[in-house]
Amino acid sequence: MREGFHRISPLADVAIQGRFGADKGAPGVELSVRHPLSIVTVIARKDKAEALSAALAGLKGCVVQWAGADQYYAVSETYAEGALYRELREKLAGLASLSDQSHGRIVIRIAGPKARAVLAKGTPVDLHPNEFLRGKSAVTQMAHVGVHLTRTGEDAFELSVFRGFSENFWEWLTGQAEEFGYQVS
Amino acid sequence: MLIKCPHCGARPVEEYTFLGDARPQRPTSNDPSTMEQWFDYVYLRDNPKGRFDEYVQHSGGCRAWLVVSRNTATHEIHGTVTARDWTKSRQGAKA
Ligand SMILES: [Zn+2]
Repeated sequence: MREGFHRISPLADVAIQGRFGADKGAPGVELSVRHPLSIVTVIARKDKAEALSAALAGLKGCVVQWAGADQYYAVSETYAEGALYRELREKLAGLASLSDQSHGRIVIRIAGPKARAVLAKGTPVDLHPNEFLRGKSAVTQMAHVGVHLTRTGEDAFELSVFRGFSENFWEWLTGQAEEFGYQVS
Repeated sequence: MLIKCPHCGARPVEEYTFLGDARPQRPTSNDPSTMEQWFDYVYLRDNPKGRFDEYVQHSGGCRAWLVVSRNTATHEIHGTVTARDWTKSRQGAKA
């Protein structure tokens, strides 16, 4: 990131660290915001879907998440401002159309024994561990907000939403987590 | 009502947006003599009781355009294909 240039998360004033909700025992879920992130939308060009998925499989330094038919999000924490987009534009030339969404989307992490119970209040996606496998993504809606959902661990998920909805979505999410107790870190 | 998206699996009807009959085909000519075909295409729709193919977008999910075959009397879903495959199979049938 350039010197003197500092990105502020739209959830900076909202996602306050601490323990909230039910306060008996360990918190049911842990919430955090992945920020700042590089996020690039990758959409296959005509008849290039197979070549694109092969090229994406060879990428290093970013995680590639399914986001619809022949569409993906490339996500990374390690790139400087705009660098992931520029790198992918070179590596995927002719295969895909790209759009830098780093400032457009917010990724919230939710993990813990009650993570599925919280998410199930909002999405019809089958979250059973044998059905929604690790690394799998789904595009769905929660509380009328379009959500890109990825399972990142045993009981860990990422929720990606448009930044304009992120504050409202955060309020909904924490409301659902209240009964289990939640830790914001 | 659950509709199975070819990309996402079974999802509730709330995630989908219905456009309408998938069978009318856009005329390819702009010649004034095809006016009647255009009139049919733009305005005239059947209202069948029974199996009906309609364009549906998975707007609350993967955003893909689909063709859902639904029974208008019972709401039974006979099948779902992507609009792309639907068009391809229709072109194949004509060829
Ligand atoms: Zn879908």
